[in-house]
Amino acid sequence: MAAISEQPFGTEPPLAPATPPDRVQSAMAAAGNVRNAMRGVPKFSFFYLAVIIIVTIFAPWIAPFDPIKTEPTNILSEPTWGQHLLGTDHLGRDILSRIIYGARISVVVGFMAVIISGALGTLIALLSGVARGWVDTILMRLTDGFLALPYLMVAVTVIAILGAGLWKVIFVIALLRWMTYARIIRGEVLTLMQMDYIRLARVAGASNTRIIFRHITPNVFNTLLVLGTLEVGLAIIAEASLSYLGLGIPRPQPSWGTMLAESQEWVFVAWWLPMVPGVAITLLVMSFNLMGDWLRDRTDPTRRQL
Amino acid sequence: MGKYVLTRSLQGLLTLWLVTVAVFFLVRLTGNPINFLVSPEASPEDRQRLIEEYGFDKSYWEQYIVYNKNFLQGKFGESLRWDSRDGFEVFVDRLPATIQLTLAAMIFSIAVGVTLGVLSATNPDSLFDRVGKVVAILGQSMPVFWVGILMILVFAVYFKVLPAGGSIERLGWKAIVLPAVTLGWLFVAAHMRIVRSSMLEVLDSEYIKMIRAKGLPRRLVIWKHALKNASIPIFTLFMVNFAQLISGAVVTETIFGWPGIGRLLVDSIFVRDFAVAQTVVFFGAGFIVAINLTVDIIYGLLDPRIRVAQ
Repeated sequence: MAAISEQPFGTEPPLAPATPPDRVQSAMAAAGNVRNAMRGVPKFSFFYLAVIIIVTIFAPWIAPFDPIKTEPTNILSEPTWGQHLLGTDHLGRDILSRIIYGARISVVVGFMAVIISGALGTLIALLSGVARGWVDTILMRLTDGFLALPYLMVAVTVIAILGAGLWKVIFVIALLRWMTYARIIRGEVLTLMQMDYIRLARVAGASNTRIIFRHITPNVFNTLLVLGTLEVGLAIIAEASLSYLGLGIPRPQPSWGTMLAESQEWVFVAWWLPMVPGVAITLLVMSFNLMGDWLRDRTDPTRRQL
Repeated sequence: MGKYVLTRSLQGLLTLWLVTVAVFFLVRLTGNPINFLVSPEASPEDRQRLIEEYGFDKSYWEQYIVYNKNFLQGKFGESLRWDSRDGFEVFVDRLPATIQLTLAAMIFSIAVGVTLGVLSATNPDSLFDRVGKVVAILGQSMPVFWVGILMILVFAVYFKVLPAGGSIERLGWKAIVLPAVTLGWLFVAAHMRIVRSSMLEVLDSEYIKMIRAKGLPRRLVIWKHALKNASIPIFTLFMVNFAQLISGAVVTETIFGWPGIGRLLVDSIFVRDFAVAQTVVFFGAGFIVAINLTVDIIYGLLDPRIRVAQ
């Protein structure tokens, strides 16, 4: 998280004093910059995301039990302090460990799907915004076409054809979610292309490639970041939905969606089975959404009401 | 206006055509589609017979022509599971259940969304506003299937007042409550937000101040004059979300064992009944295209600027 916390969004950090400061002063200035950049950050979301990411990285060291090891003598035991902290499921697997390993799947799918779909959407937006003409028409019709697809129905069908698996799930989600980026960023590109500095760059003889990478991309990056953060939550829910339907991450791997699907049979006897993964996923998606809202407010105060 | 409707319709048809092309290629993406049409245990003779019957031994070009021909004749392929009936027939059988469910869900989400939205726009920082904010955040963050399981936990397991699954035929109207609330929940937040922001915008306008100055009762100002004028963006979102609900029904119908097209799709996929799956996807897309087209046309009628901007 250090990389994010050091980078101020929207507002520039105060300029460093001209005279070389001593160590304490520069440390204080750095802390001030960080505090400035983090102003108004939703504290709970930030904390929860930090915990989840640490858990994701160090899962094997943190998880108290093997997430897929069954314990037939100890099934559906209630959450107890000192033993199975969050109880066990119908096969006697430790729920806390499964939640910890499940976080890995959610986080990886969320980030990877968003990175891929964001890259694809941005590429299409740049192509159609810079090239215009028939390229633009074709690409935008394609975008409209994809937007008209019944998202989950298509995802289910494609996964059924390709077969389940982590990367296939990521690929399918990315393939069905790039349209938001394409549309919004294209709009921004079109506005930017009207700006004087782009015209001047053209007069100065800059090629399309140079204009795209040097002058347009850095200016749509903020939007991309905000959209991406808001989309992570949707991608996580999409993965969980596919896994819930039995078409996402193959069992016995502990995806939160799979855990919820399995919990449904036992909901009459074990309330903690659906509660634990449900709360975990809701908080994770909520944290990404709130962070996205915060980033949007930081980067573009005019859209605060949206 | 005629030209506008025409271009929009053509675009809609183009989208549908793209869907059929996508389905055609997707099914053939992993090589021979026969691999997921027949079970791995089938004998080589059966395999060969099916390959010839479906025409998978021909070239892609010929297959595509046959595919389109069947399509235009309304033949979506024989279902493997439902006694070789046509995919379309099976689909139509299951459609009413989904329509009941989505309509009920839509009514629920509109009723709650509009009420909360109006109340939170007219009473800023009141209890309604705060409840509304919590609902908006939770609505975006809770996965549908968890909402469904929670509903079952509370109303079927704990209070034992509503059934945890089933259909209207078997259990009567009680059966639709939990699925509809679960599916509708998805859009309560969205509806609330749009109602709130359009209401805030309208309430700020001159004519509202005028009729308030005239002494019209607050209730009439809000629910009649303001809401009416705030309703264009709200209406559009309702329509667009209605189309999305059909797609969202896949999960809800699976949770509650609701006998609609969403569950039909999932069931068909597990038994490799692709004729049915393809029909469901095609009509799902067709429905969204139709709704979008209707919205565009109505919007064009209501607001001339849009058809010119075209």
